[in-house]
Amino acid sequence: MSETLYLGLFILIIGVFAVAFPRNREYLTRLINTEIAAFGLLLVFLSLSETIALVTFVAVNGISTFIFVRIIERRQG
Amino acid sequence: MIGEIMAGDHYLPGIAIICVAIVILMTTFFREYDDLHRLILTGCSEVVALCIIAFLATDLAEALILPGLVVSLAELVALSEIYINKEGLGLVPAPDRTIEVFSSAPPIIAAILVIYGIVLSGFTGGAVAGVGLLFYYLCLDHKERFALLETVSGYAWVLWVFAFFIFMMLPAYWFFAVMMAGSAIFVKVTIKLALIGTMKPDQLLEETDHV
Repeated sequence: MSETLYLGLFILIIGVFAVAFPRNREYLTRLINTEIAAFGLLLVFLSLSETIALVTFVAVNGISTFIFVRIIERRQG
Repeated sequence: MIGEIMAGDHYLPGIAIICVAIVILMTTFFREYDDLHRLILTGCSEVVALCIIAFLATDLAEALILPGLVVSLAELVALSEIYINKEGLGLVPAPDRTIEVFSSAPPIIAAILVIYGIVLSGFTGGAVAGVGLLFYYLCLDHKERFALLETVSGYAWVLWVFAFFIFMMLPAYWFFAVMMAGSAIFVKVTIKLALIGTMKPDQLLEETDHV
């Protein structure tokens, strides 16, 4: 179980690093890199057996991505 | 509880790793001047903040995370609207998305999700049913009445608060209060999520034409 926890934290750090220093400084790159950190958080939820938080976070994350893409498409359009 | 044992052993190293993530994010915040980049960074810092709460690893963590998620979503919607108004961003003409599945699937999938949401009830059921309605509104044209939806949502909120008064003053009727609070929060979350489904570009175009 603790392997899952530390793998999750490792992915979280990688994701935060990728958001902070993306290869090309574009909105979409940063948004997609945020998903890496979110995946790490999901692994943390999984290892600490917080089921409802995990399921709700998946749903909310999808909706918030939709909202971000809506702004980005307007900004670039 | 498995979670409590885990948290006791791994709490300090975990928090230390998260603190490194926070430091990286904060330095990025200071170096960034573009508002939209900052908004995306806010989304990322929300993930890190939720990770700190998750490390409590008890039922309290879940009880804190669920409202946090909903509030963060509402805050994101509000901030995005403010950003769009501040920058005066125009509307992009929506591309023609006539896909056959989008016209035939929504009633069936929305009905399945709403019925399953009613079976689940409470917060989770509201989220499931809300996703069903969101999908329906995204795909099909709609003539919803915002005032009516908001009124229903307001009465659901009152019911929820009233149920808590029953918990405190007439504890013998707790089962009735649980049912009341469960159905009220179901209606409320469903309506909130369904409203997001109406944020279609062409619909917004129509609204701004009237103004």
